[in-house]
Amino acid sequence: MAVSRVVVVRSMRLRGPTGPADPQAVAGALSRGFALLTGAGTDREAVSALFRPTDRVGIKVNTLGGKLLTTGPDVSLPLAAWLEAGGLRGDDLIVWDRTNRELREAGYRLAAGRGSPRVFGTDAPGAGYGPELVAHRSIGSLFSRIQSGLITASISLAVLKDHGLAGVTAGMKNYFGAIHNPNKYHDSRCDPYIADVFDAPLVRSKHRVSILDALVVQYHRGPSFHSQWAEPFGGLIFGLDPVATDSVGRSIIERLRAAKGLPSLAEEGREPSYLATAERIGLGRADPAAIEVVEEALP
Amino acid sequence: MKRRRFIRDAAGAGLALGAGAASLSVPRPAASTGPDLSHVEAKYYRKLPDREIECLLCPRLCRLGDRERGYCGVRENVGGVYRTLVYGKPCSFNIDPIEKKPFFHFLPGTEALSIATVGCNVNCKFCQNWEISQARPEQVAHRDMSPREVARAAADGRCPSIAYTYTEPTVFIEYVMDTAVAARDKGVRSVVVTGGHINPGPLEDLLEVVDAVKVDLKGFTQEFYTKYVRGELRPVLEAIRTIRRRPVWLEIVYLVIPTLNDSEATVREMARWVRDEAGTATPLHFSRFLPMYLLKNLPPTPVSTLERARTAALDEGLRYVYVGNVPGHPAESTFCPGCGRTVIERSGYRIGGIHMKKGRCEQCGETIPGVWT
Repeated sequence: MAVSRVVVVRSMRLRGPTGPADPQAVAGALSRGFALLTGAGTDREAVSALFRPTDRVGIKVNTLGGKLLTTGPDVSLPLAAWLEAGGLRGDDLIVWDRTNRELREAGYRLAAGRGSPRVFGTDAPGAGYGPELVAHRSIGSLFSRIQSGLITASISLAVLKDHGLAGVTAGMKNYFGAIHNPNKYHDSRCDPYIADVFDAPLVRSKHRVSILDALVVQYHRGPSFHSQWAEPFGGLIFGLDPVATDSVGRSIIERLRAAKGLPSLAEEGREPSYLATAERIGLGRADPAAIEVVEEALP
Repeated sequence: MKRRRFIRDAAGAGLALGAGAASLSVPRPAASTGPDLSHVEAKYYRKLPDREIECLLCPRLCRLGDRERGYCGVRENVGGVYRTLVYGKPCSFNIDPIEKKPFFHFLPGTEALSIATVGCNVNCKFCQNWEISQARPEQVAHRDMSPREVARAAADGRCPSIAYTYTEPTVFIEYVMDTAVAARDKGVRSVVVTGGHINPGPLEDLLEVVDAVKVDLKGFTQEFYTKYVRGELRPVLEAIRTIRRRPVWLEIVYLVIPTLNDSEATVREMARWVRDEAGTATPLHFSRFLPMYLLKNLPPTPVSTLERARTAALDEGLRYVYVGNVPGHPAESTFCPGCGRTVIERSGYRIGGIHMKKGRCEQCGETIPGVWT
């Protein structure tokens, strides 16, 4: 089996010490990251490599952490702009999460009807959860109608952070925000639930790419924000293999923890075992030896 | 007239309602979320450093960072203060026969104002109310009703009891306790329908203010609880012991699921445990499973299986053993252990006749344990 490529683009212009990311820096990082990931020569070719022109693309953000630790509009809106510039229709792009409230608290201006992109939560009028219970492997859930019906392709744009139960939360766990009962899947270190939610056809068949927002990485005591354990990492991480992408995210958190003299996740009893489970059921590669990490530093 | 107005008002709120009707509210998004949730501080937690908390309500002992919710989905750490999001926010509101809970030895033939909020602290694969028990509060319509308003509604509706039921009252314990106190002031009693997955301290407090508890003993092995309930058996058994020691009426339901918890050996072991720990007078209901939620692959429980379970439990010395979810079955009725005559005739949730005087069999004078008036 071929190795899985994961691209890490870093630039300290991606995160100011207190404010949002520089939009031009984000746009540059997106362009470079997708080029390295897809091998495309232009942005338009990179978009074409991932999406059909008629795709309605969901950008699933994670706004649970409020304004301080979230995939904010400073990253998701440049991503939408990059997709639109690459040939997708602006009103076919949906930036979404569980609730309008969480999106607003993360700094988004809601645009449910028309917009480029549209921005709204599953609780917005006309969205909601589908009526059919999806029973898949260990899970039984209702899925957001955004995931199940409104979009044809999906980007998981997740914040990379330490997680008190799962060990690490990143691109795959982001889809917990697509189901109505994520609180039921946090025991047993979220294993096998993270893998099983991702493996559900409504997710797996639509997922195209993972992007981890590692502008600031909460490497300890996550998923809540604690400034003393938050590192301005200034990175965006791209991967077509969702398991490999999260595995690289895990390595970054482990490195930061080691650098700060903290025990490893395994030593704290928080080994993110869902990565191995995901690999076992064929979602991707968790073993670092099977992952090609391409790192690039931008000015 | 008052009662009609009360029912109409509740129906106007768009909630499930109707005597004897199933109480199911289909999850649907509310127009908005945060501002409409309760922010009452929860009981039973301790604060930890860095705005973390540990929930002490149930055996899960969820440890939560800021902005995180517990397994139940209805209790949230907000900046280091634990909040219940469902206090005063019932999503189901019905008048049911008390027999539907089921309570067979507690005010038979009366109706219970039955309420629930969203949420549960386990995730049974056979849950019949999963649309509300496994949802989050933002996903299900609710109305605002203070404990006093619930108590007044019960009194106005001429319901002698309020039942906290359908989901898991443990997760809305603050609302249960305040409502039970308000109800007592109006002469209305409170009954709890629970899985018993609760820690001893909160349970002791709950038992101070309620009058009866029905525990769903969902199986009798930890393996079953792990696989099909996602909870622990031991705390449930401890809860039953605790309830039995208090002046609170106790009944137990055992849902018999084909191939999963229906072996005669398991049933006998469970019945012996109930006999020894809760007493021979504790009513035990063997309820029929119907395929639903995540166990649609199994058939309904054969009536013969329920009858065998009942026979085994009677053999083990229990005196009041019932068959449930089989309308019209003879074992829905209560038989006097003294003379064998029928003392309470039941068919479905309907009472055909009560042949007792002051809690004694009319024929032989045998005392029938229960709360009759």
